[in-house]
Amino acid sequence: MNNKPRILVVDDEPQLTRVLRTGLSSRGYDVRAASDGLAGFETFTDWHPDLVITDLAMPNMDGLEFCRRLRAVSQVPIIILSAKGEEKIKVEALDIGADDFVTKPFGIDELLARIRASLRRAKAPPTNESAQTVLDLGDFHVDFEARNVSVRGREIRLTPKEFDLLVYFINHSGKVLTHHTLLAAVWGGDYVEQDQYLRVFVGNLRKKLETNPASPHYILTEPWVGYRFSPSE
Amino acid sequence: MWSGLANKKLFGYIGAVVVITAATAVLKIFGGHVNLTTAALAFLLMVLFVAAAWGSGPAVLAALIGSICFNFFFLPPVGTFHIAEPENWIAFFSFLVAAITAGQLSARAKRRAEEAEAGRHKIEHLYSELRDAFERASEAEALRRSEKLKSALLDAVTHDLRTPLTSIKASITTLLDEVRGRSQDEPVVALDSDSRLEMMEVIDEESDRLNRFIGGLIDLARIEAGELHLRRRWGVVDEIISTALARAEPLTRGREVEVDIEPELPVVRVDERAVSEVVYTLVDNAAKYSPGNGNIRISAGRSDNGMITMSVEDRGEGIAVDLRDRVFEKFFRATRDGDISTHQPSGTGMGLAIAKGIVEAHEGRIWIETATGGRGTRVVFTLPIGDEEAPEVLNLPRL
Repeated sequence: MNNKPRILVVDDEPQLTRVLRTGLSSRGYDVRAASDGLAGFETFTDWHPDLVITDLAMPNMDGLEFCRRLRAVSQVPIIILSAKGEEKIKVEALDIGADDFVTKPFGIDELLARIRASLRRAKAPPTNESAQTVLDLGDFHVDFEARNVSVRGREIRLTPKEFDLLVYFINHSGKVLTHHTLLAAVWGGDYVEQDQYLRVFVGNLRKKLETNPASPHYILTEPWVGYRFSPSE
Repeated sequence: MWSGLANKKLFGYIGAVVVITAATAVLKIFGGHVNLTTAALAFLLMVLFVAAAWGSGPAVLAALIGSICFNFFFLPPVGTFHIAEPENWIAFFSFLVAAITAGQLSARAKRRAEEAEAGRHKIEHLYSELRDAFERASEAEALRRSEKLKSALLDAVTHDLRTPLTSIKASITTLLDEVRGRSQDEPVVALDSDSRLEMMEVIDEESDRLNRFIGGLIDLARIEAGELHLRRRWGVVDEIISTALARAEPLTRGREVEVDIEPELPVVRVDERAVSEVVYTLVDNAAKYSPGNGNIRISAGRSDNGMITMSVEDRGEGIAVDLRDRVFEKFFRATRDGDISTHQPSGTGMGLAIAKGIVEAHEGRIWIETATGGRGTRVVFTLPIGDEEAPEVLNLPRL
């Protein structure tokens, strides 16, 4: 039985799938490639990969529709290959449920790092605050019942909304979270256009959590897209 | 403005007095030769003139002064304001009424004409303003469209530059990592020689692709700037096609390529290299957008209008009728931008635009039709045979 993590690469550029197949195989991954979303979905249902890497602009079924179909049947980590200028469609894909993105052209190390992070997240047991009372993750210690948070042993006083936002970040650490996703999750669906709420609360959280809020290490900005939470400095 | 208007009116009244006085003087000079009717008609004519020249007010004044002069100088007893005979009273009042009425009618006609003229000026002014506004709006719209087009073209160019760059960067970083031994985070699996070769092949092929793309951009820019300098020489269609096919051989390997050239075709005065590029582009497209083993058919023949017709057809999915003109637009790709569903890779979106530029620079035409048998694409182009100095038909061995 082959224990190599399985990666499905979906891109209509044969040269890129050729490179990724060879490059990722050499790093111990089992790789299959498909040239569009339709073929990709077929391979996914037959092969059950551990992670999917997909382009956005493809014939037959584009990356967006492919992500939507995948999310309807699976929580498999999805990494998007996007180009500069495709921010809108990239954000849409992340909102649908894609986990991360890499901007073309990219070095293989960057892609490998994203693959490792996504696979780690997928393997980690689900953090559910209703089932557990405390959580230790990186520099953070969270007591869900007392609604207390400590960073590197230092207790932080948070407002209820700041606590909710931080817990959402912690529960999705490493994943790119769009403005839309965060607003919908913490404030509710009526507030998805109110980016300024998010900026204010993220600013407050950074002041309370970060050593240097101007150069944050925990709540990282993904320009034009959203934020990514890293639990360790 | 008001003082100008008052001066104009005053000038009209003075004019009325002067005209009637002058008419009276002229009539008196002729003395006994002027009868009552002549005098009355002469005054009436003057009133009409005043009405036409200065309008209603001066016309009334002219009619009144004319009546007084007519009475004083011409109605017996002459030299008095007394009218002796009853028929002269009738003549006097008839003249007075006729003069005032004619003056008023003439003045009204003048006013109407002036109003019509003013209306015409106003309409002309409005029309000119509307036209200016429309032109400004059209310019703004054209500018907006041009900016949109530029942005779309820029997107297309950056996409086409970035795609091969992505493959190159991913390949080169994989190779570099192996050389630098930076695999501590990964299960270390070294690249075997085949994988290494494959990476290098990708770098080589994608570099060529970038180079072709940049070459295409330069050709397009030359065509658009009207700087496509053709080096026309007498050439043979068979040779042009065979040169293109030899170059396209790696693309057509495994396919049946049928060449059908009409016997005894005249030589053509063309830039052979450029026309061969057109044939190559069409064969490349036929291979790219048709099934792996689909036949490609190239034909050449003489058409009715003194042109040579050449065509390349495939057995692919064909191109929808509404996209057949658009595929000649630069950066338009039927597979990426249109409706055609295919798994085939897209081209640069420049080949057909360049082909069209080359064919049109030769005063030819290029178009797309459904291939023989109703399936696939047939790209046809025409080239003029040349001028009167064409050499004799060359009978060369067939391909």
